[in-house]
Amino acid sequence: MKWLWESMFGYWMVLLLISLGAAALVYVLWLHENMHI
Amino acid sequence: MFDFAIGGMQAPIFLLMITGFTVGIVGGFVGVGGGYMVTPALIVFGFPGYIASGTDATHIAGKGVIASIRHRQLGNIDWTLALTMVGGTMLGVELGVRLLNYTKSIGLSGPALLTGSVLIMFGLFLYTQIETHRAHKKIHEISEQGETVGRELKTSKVHIWFQSIPILPIVKCTHARVVISMWAIVLVGVATGVLAGFFGVGGGFIRVPALVYVIGATTHIGVGTDLVEIVVSGAYGAMRQTMSGNVDMMAVLFMILGAMIGAQFGSIATSFVRGPAIRYILSYSLILATTGALLRLIYVLTGQKIEFLAFFAVVFTLGEMLFLCLFIVSLVIFSVRHTHGKPVPKWVPPLVVAAT
Repeated sequence: MKWLWESMFGYWMVLLLISLGAAALVYVLWLHENMHI
Repeated sequence: MFDFAIGGMQAPIFLLMITGFTVGIVGGFVGVGGGYMVTPALIVFGFPGYIASGTDATHIAGKGVIASIRHRQLGNIDWTLALTMVGGTMLGVELGVRLLNYTKSIGLSGPALLTGSVLIMFGLFLYTQIETHRAHKKIHEISEQGETVGRELKTSKVHIWFQSIPILPIVKCTHARVVISMWAIVLVGVATGVLAGFFGVGGGFIRVPALVYVIGATTHIGVGTDLVEIVVSGAYGAMRQTMSGNVDMMAVLFMILGAMIGAQFGSIATSFVRGPAIRYILSYSLILATTGALLRLIYVLTGQKIEFLAFFAVVFTLGEMLFLCLFIVSLVIFSVRHTHGKPVPKWVPPLVVAAT
C-alpha cells in the first residue's frame, strides 16, 4: 500500500480503475436495456 | 430511472447530473466550458444525437451570462471585438442548426455528431500536447538567453498575416490592442458559430485559440470576449434548437442542477489546486472520452449488434468523468490536509496551493 501513497502514477491508476469499475456497474445495472439511437 | 418524453428514452437522472457536475467543475480550471464532452457523452448514454446537441446548447447560455459578468468586472472583454463578431456567430449558429436538422431528417444525427466529436476531441488532445511542448521549449529558450518570461507567450505568427488583410472596413479594437479587417473577425464568428450550432457546444475551445492566434488578442481578452459570444450563440442556439424540437427540458434541468453544484465546487477548488495540473490530466482524459465516442460510433455503424462495444463506450465515457471528479476532489482534500500539517504524499505539494 505504501507505493500507492508515494507514487503519483499508482494513485492515478487506482482512481482510474475505481472510476472504470463504477462506470461498468452503471451500465450493467441500469443502461444496457434502455439504450438506443 | 426517469422517462424523458421528448428524448423518447429512459435514463438514470444521476447520469445527467454527473455530466453537468463534471463540466461545471472542469470549466473553472480550463476557462472553456467543456461542452464538447457533453454531446458525445449523452449519445453514449443513449440519447438521440439531436436531443444531445439541443440539450447541450440550452444549458450553456445561462452559464455564459454569469461568467461574462465576472469577466466584465475583471476587464477581460473587448466590446468592439465582441459586437463585431456577434453577427457572424449568429449566422454560423443558424447554419449549424440547419445542418443538424438535415442530418436528423435523414436519421444520421447520432453518427454525424459522434464522428465530428471524435475528430474534435482527438484534435484538441493533439493541440494541447503540441502547444504545451512548444511553450515549454520557448520558456526554456528564453530562460537560457537570461531573459524573464512574460505573462503572455505566443508561439504563432498567423495573426500578423490576418491583421495585414487590407479589406475595408478596418476595425480598431482599443482594449485588445488589435487593428484588423472586420471580415476576419466575422469569418472567425461564422466558423465557430457553425460548430456551436451543430454540436450544441459553446465553441470556446475553438474560439479562444482563434481569437488569440488568428485575431491576435491576449488570452485574457480571448476568454472574456469568447464568453460574450457564448451568451449569444447559446441563447440563439437554444431558441433555434427548441423550435426544431431538439431540446428535452427535463434533461436540461437535471444537467443544470449538476452544473450549478459543479461550478460552485470548481470555483472553490481553483483556489486549492493549481490549474496546469488539471489541464494535464484533462488532456489525457480526452483520449478516454474519444475512445468512448469512437466505440459508440462503431457500435451504431455495425447495426447495434455488438453489445460489448456499447458497454466499453459507457465505461470509457462515464469512467473519464468520474475519474476527473475524483481526481479534483481528492486534490482539494489533500490540499486541506497539507495546510493543516497532516501527512500527504510527496507528489501532492507541487500540484496544490497551500491555503491560508
